[in-house]
Amino acid sequence: MLPNNLQQTAAALAARDQFAATGLPGAKSEPWIYTRLQDVVVNPAQSAQASTSSEAGLVLHFDNGLLVSDDVTAPAGMVIRPFTDADMADFAAYLPDDHLLGTLSVGHVTSAIMIEVEAGAQISDLLTLRFTANVADQSAHPLVFIKQGAGSQCRIVEHHESHAALSAPLIVMDIGAEAVLDHAKMQADTDSTKHLSLTVMAVAEKADINSFTTAIGGQLARHETHMHLNGEHADVALSSIYMARGTQHQDMTTRMLHHVPNCTSSQLIRGVLDDTAKGVFQGKVVVARDAQKTDGQQMSRALLLSRQAEADAKPELEIYADDVVCSHGATVGELDETHLFYLKSRGIEADEARMMLIEAFLLDTLETVRLEELRTSLTTAIQRWMTGV
Amino acid sequence: MTLLEIKDLHAKIGDTEILHGINLTINRGEVHAIMGPNGSGKSTLSYVLSGREGYEVTGGDILLDGESVLEMEADERARAGMFLAFQYPVELPGVGGMTFLRAAVNARLREAGKDEVDQLAFVKLVRAKAKELGVSDDMLKRAVNVGFSGGEKKRYEILQMALLEPSLAVLDETDSGLDVDALRIVSEGVNALRGDARGMLVITHYQRLLSHIVPDFVHILAHGKIIKSGDKSLALEVEENGYAGLIDAAE
Ligand SMILES: Nc1ncnc2c1ncn2[C@@H]1O[C@H](COP(=O)(O)OP(=O)(O)OP(=O)(O)O)[C@@H](O)[C@H]1O
Ligand SMILES: [Mg+2]
Repeated sequence: MLPNNLQQTAAALAARDQFAATGLPGAKSEPWIYTRLQDVVVNPAQSAQASTSSEAGLVLHFDNGLLVSDDVTAPAGMVIRPFTDADMADFAAYLPDDHLLGTLSVGHVTSAIMIEVEAGAQISDLLTLRFTANVADQSAHPLVFIKQGAGSQCRIVEHHESHAALSAPLIVMDIGAEAVLDHAKMQADTDSTKHLSLTVMAVAEKADINSFTTAIGGQLARHETHMHLNGEHADVALSSIYMARGTQHQDMTTRMLHHVPNCTSSQLIRGVLDDTAKGVFQGKVVVARDAQKTDGQQMSRALLLSRQAEADAKPELEIYADDVVCSHGATVGELDETHLFYLKSRGIEADEARMMLIEAFLLDTLETVRLEELRTSLTTAIQRWMTGV
Repeated sequence: MTLLEIKDLHAKIGDTEILHGINLTINRGEVHAIMGPNGSGKSTLSYVLSGREGYEVTGGDILLDGESVLEMEADERARAGMFLAFQYPVELPGVGGMTFLRAAVNARLREAGKDEVDQLAFVKLVRAKAKELGVSDDMLKRAVNVGFSGGEKKRYEILQMALLEPSLAVLDETDSGLDVDALRIVSEGVNALRGDARGMLVITHYQRLLSHIVPDFVHILAHGKIIKSGDKSLALEVEENGYAGLIDAAE
């Protein structure tokens, strides 16, 4: 499947015009106060380098932003196909208006894939979206549109391991009534890669979503997620762990938009920052006037392993309803000296003691992951980060 | 054989000198008790011995098996055979008990150039020792010290000591918070470790503990100095008359 002329669609042209007109956010742009964008290379890759990939299992592999998977056999109840021109417009309609990340990648789309899950289909295979690249001066703009029919079940994991100037995936998920989604994102791009992603989920009534992001790579990464709770009694758990060292910059930005009553959302965010790394958490929970009985929780904690590391947090509640239970909080701290001493007094070396305490710090968040088969690889990735491998 | 030699030890926390010249020698096989009023520096001494950061030695020396430990980090000292049972054991949310115990034992084994413990055998060993000390399986499954009662924490300290088999054990008020039965159980656990290979420094306020763990020597610490040393009868004297007379006599 090669890219078609999506860049010439009306949606892409409009987005490109918009992008050209606005450019990168200036120093005063509110959503980008903590994450300054500089030297963003927009040079969409024209071709993949990896030859067609025929990885076992249900895998969609994007190399340089282009789909290279061959002969992917979708399981019964799932259709995987390239975008039509109409899909471009449909996809763009889900994106927030005039949003930098939306216009950037719709305008420079490198490939776009539609995944449709039939109503009621129970897909037990884990769908892997693999994003790789090996072009230091180019950018990747893959679009993935997932439409999950009512009552269906689906399990999706994204792996980001790109070496590029910019990896800027856009993911839209339309999740039908009573659908169940287990989603995880593992971002481990190389430390010269910028990662700017926008994920938008539109959630219908009684849908049940568990989404987990682990971010341990990239020179600068922004993971922006917008959740639209459009149907009552939907339940969303959105957690993330980010770890950064050196001069890395990790940004978790979420918008939890409760448009209707009786929905539950919870967000746990844990950051570990070493050296001069910087972490940003911007989380906004918006509860519309009609969205009574909303339960919206959000808690971010950052752990600084070095005095030069920095964590910025901007939790926001915007509540227009009066009968809701919402809470938010953000803390920044260091490893507790008494904890370290207790471990060391038992003979445990300082490095190992620190690792045990970092793992302990991440534990309650890790425990929210619903994709069982991911747990081990998550723990391994975290341990590898800690040992600096 | 000399195990621990504390020579004219001065130490400060921040700008305040707390220990003003402590001398104490413990030979293998001996149990020494330290008693003294609140704030006299007993816990400070235990922290200085174990190498806690922020406790600065400003004079004197600490020798373990003839070697100065002043340049050693807390973890090195522990692997060299020191163990501190904390007056206030630390809760470690998220750190699993078994993981913690195994890490501690493995650190010691690695230091000795030995293989790490076999998982299953280790769990069995821990369960057996825990049972002797009245540490429940449920406590073993929880995070370290989290949600333990005061007395449970003290038992858990002694369980760690039993697993680590230190050459020098410093017990800081291990009896506080223990009910009568627990005091007996814990004392039995400590006595089981008594022997020619080990020395112990038992910090307490109460003669009651010393009737279970009978010391060879008793020292009175006041205002950061040992003001009197004697045999176990000194503890009885303190119990009856308090510290005032002893402190006055020393000054
Ligand atoms: N972090 C600290 N900063 C300053 N002073 C301290 C600090 N910790 C302890 N001290 C002081 O050092 C002195 C000795 O305290 P320490 O805890 O060693 O006493 P202790 O003999 O163990 O008392 P207790 O019987 O109550 O346990 C006290 O005056 C105490 O206030
Ligand atoms: Mg004390």
